[in-house]
Amino acid sequence: MGEYKSVVIAAGKGGWGGPLTITPTDDRPYIYSVTGGGIHPVAARIAELTGGTPFDGFKSSVPFDKIAVAVIDCGGTARVGVYPMKKVLTVDIHATSPAGPLAMFITPELFVSGVKPDDIKEK
Amino acid sequence: MPDFAEQGVLVFFGENAPAELHEFSIIHTPDVQTRAPQVGDTITLADNTYNVLAVGSVASDNLLNLGHLDLKANGLTEPEMPGDVNVEAVSLPVVKIGDRLIVISQP
Repeated sequence: MGEYKSVVIAAGKGGWGGPLTITPTDDRPYIYSVTGGGIHPVAARIAELTGGTPFDGFKSSVPFDKIAVAVIDCGGTARVGVYPMKKVLTVDIHATSPAGPLAMFITPELFVSGVKPDDIKEK
Repeated sequence: MPDFAEQGVLVFFGENAPAELHEFSIIHTPDVQTRAPQVGDTITLADNTYNVLAVGSVASDNLLNLGHLDLKANGLTEPEMPGDVNVEAVSLPVVKIGDRLIVISQP
């Protein structure tokens, strides 16, 4: 059994949505980084503070129901809606707002954007 | 899943993209990546040619890091989203396996 803590993530400068409270569990341990170039610093910070397991979505995959939070670097069209559509809490490091074909799934309860490592606070 | 193509959007990802992105994306093998498209370039896709009208601020990182491209046939000369690459508001082709997307820079 893991020891997990919660963090609160607020929208950063120009961002939208949130704040989200992220609490990994044994059932949902993964901090899922769907970003270029490995685990993004925002995902690393969430993992460090919560005790969650960082995971690189471009290396392999995990089921949606194992993901505590998805961290994306989406420019606003696709990934921005995919994870909210699956009811997965989603953090976009870019300051995007709901738009695109999946905009209907993007809600402030599921999504927060413009997030930098400093926008992640221990609860 | 809403139909991206109906809304004039084609989403490309490199072949290592996670499975959940495959259902609405064109998965391709990126080749010769030196820079993203720029305004004034042309893009050829499945024997059609389009003029690049606008490029968002993260389109270049998307393409170079992930093989990712959001191609939007919306005719807009300003990007709505940082990942956008906009071309004329025309219907985009149905892409088939083996088709190529080529960016041609204009001198």
